[in-house]
Amino acid sequence: MRRLMAATAVLVSTLGLVSGCGEDTPATDAGDIETIEITFEGGTVTPNGERVEVGTGQPVDLVVRADESGEIHVHSEPEQEFEYAAGTTTLKLQIDQPGVVEVESHDLEQVIVQLEVS
Amino acid sequence: MNGDTPFAHGIGGSADLPISPSLAIAGAVAALVVSFTVLAVAWRTPRYDEAQGGRQAPPWLDSLVGSLGFRAGLRVFGFVIFVYAVVAAIFGEDLLTNPVFGIFYVWWWVGLVPLSLFLGPFWKAISPVRTINLVFARLSGSDPEVGVFDYPRWLGHWPAALGLFAFVWMELVYPFMTELGPVRLWCAIYVAVMLVGGALFGNTFYEHADPFEVYSSLVAKLSVWGSRDGHLLLRSPLANLDTVVVRPGLVAVLAVLFGSTAFDSFRDSSDWVQYIQSTETSSYLLNNVMLVVFCVGTGLVFALGCVLTGVETGTRRWSLPDKFAHSIVPIVVGYIVAHYLTYLVEFGQRTLIQASDPFSNGSDILGTGDWSVNYWLSYHPTLLANVKVVAVVVGHVLGVVAAHDRAIKLLPKRHQLTGQLPLLLAMVAFTVGGLYLLFAA
Repeated sequence: MRRLMAATAVLVSTLGLVSGCGEDTPATDAGDIETIEITFEGGTVTPNGERVEVGTGQPVDLVVRADESGEIHVHSEPEQEFEYAAGTTTLKLQIDQPGVVEVESHDLEQVIVQLEVS
Repeated sequence: MNGDTPFAHGIGGSADLPISPSLAIAGAVAALVVSFTVLAVAWRTPRYDEAQGGRQAPPWLDSLVGSLGFRAGLRVFGFVIFVYAVVAAIFGEDLLTNPVFGIFYVWWWVGLVPLSLFLGPFWKAISPVRTINLVFARLSGSDPEVGVFDYPRWLGHWPAALGLFAFVWMELVYPFMTELGPVRLWCAIYVAVMLVGGALFGNTFYEHADPFEVYSSLVAKLSVWGSRDGHLLLRSPLANLDTVVVRPGLVAVLAVLFGSTAFDSFRDSSDWVQYIQSTETSSYLLNNVMLVVFCVGTGLVFALGCVLTGVETGTRRWSLPDKFAHSIVPIVVGYIVAHYLTYLVEFGQRTLIQASDPFSNGSDILGTGDWSVNYWLSYHPTLLANVKVVAVVVGHVLGVVAAHDRAIKLLPKRHQLTGQLPLLLAMVAFTVGGLYLLFAA
């Protein structure tokens, strides 16, 4: 049992060392704007649920080209809602809290992108 | 968020970041190495014995826990929350800010785990259905322990497995999970079944068939609290775990718990979202099928891991999965901690804030209405990721040790080591699969 516990202790501490190198680094590219192009056309939307990595606090522009007006929900903390009109609209958002945030078309009930905020 | 979204988002906002690949690999390697180390160096005679071991809790604690006032206090505590939730569910607004959703999906479902892990069989102590059954029995002058019939042995934990599945289906698949009507209906059916069952079979019914009591009492086997001859006992979690009573359906209970949690990670992965959004097949159907596949798959992998061993003639091979089932309890709990930690901490707080205004009319009954949620955990993603992987690996280690001890008790001598290998592989599969989902989803 002692040997077992020793082995476990070594492994768990190794785990700590291996993972310790990635200390919480603040977003380095906070200044650059991440632009995501979103197209609504005939009841469909692209992109379709893809992951996009952004930094915490990094400005994100959703450039929406739509054939009719609608609403986009961003499931961050707190939740953000945006309306867009037919034509091209740029929606500006920014997320400070790390996590995976879904950006949804309220009208199509579809995930457009998952923002991986870190 | 509106309740009419077909994604069954739940009440959560953002989800945890995926863990880094290096961390996932480190965890998987640790799990593998520990597994074989246990096999190679651990004891060769069974260590855990229900009848012995453990030490008596201090007398003052024993008499406190055994006292009528303490027990009644816990029952009152559980019943007050129950009544509060019922009132909010009946008279509250059908809004996501109604605390009923948080009480149902966060406090009840997830809060149960740490409470049972630290305090022992918590739901049994506060269960409002047990309380109602107790009151009915007292009023009619009968014994709450016994009912009209004896609980059928063959039924075991199967009703609990079914109940747990009904809950995870509601939580993860049902599109209207954040509307008041369905949550009310679910709870009404639960209470009705529990009361009828209690009247028919007495308290035995709750021990076997109440999904929450079975869940809570299984997790409580990882706590340090045991009992013998009515006295409180302190024992090591591994020795405590060995006292899990083997009943039919135990594997099914654990398969639903692990499978559904894995499915919860999986359904949020970008690949799955892209797939269900681009196919013509109904996403509701696909999610239903996948939930069943995850639960049944977990059960099958585990059962196969248990039966692929040499046994003495006369031992029924298919009785082995239930006999080894206690050993995946720590794996399940470790994974559930990893999966739900942020959710419990952050949405648990939010529920406490919402609970102060149960009718959504701006009142502040509990005085918690102006508190704000502390998101410290989410702002420390590296720490969070480490905690998650450590929870999974520790769960795995405990599971492997528990399985080893049971194997030397159950398997014939010449199969004791080789006979454990398939089960070990099944456990590694769960742990690595769990880590993969934490990394990929």
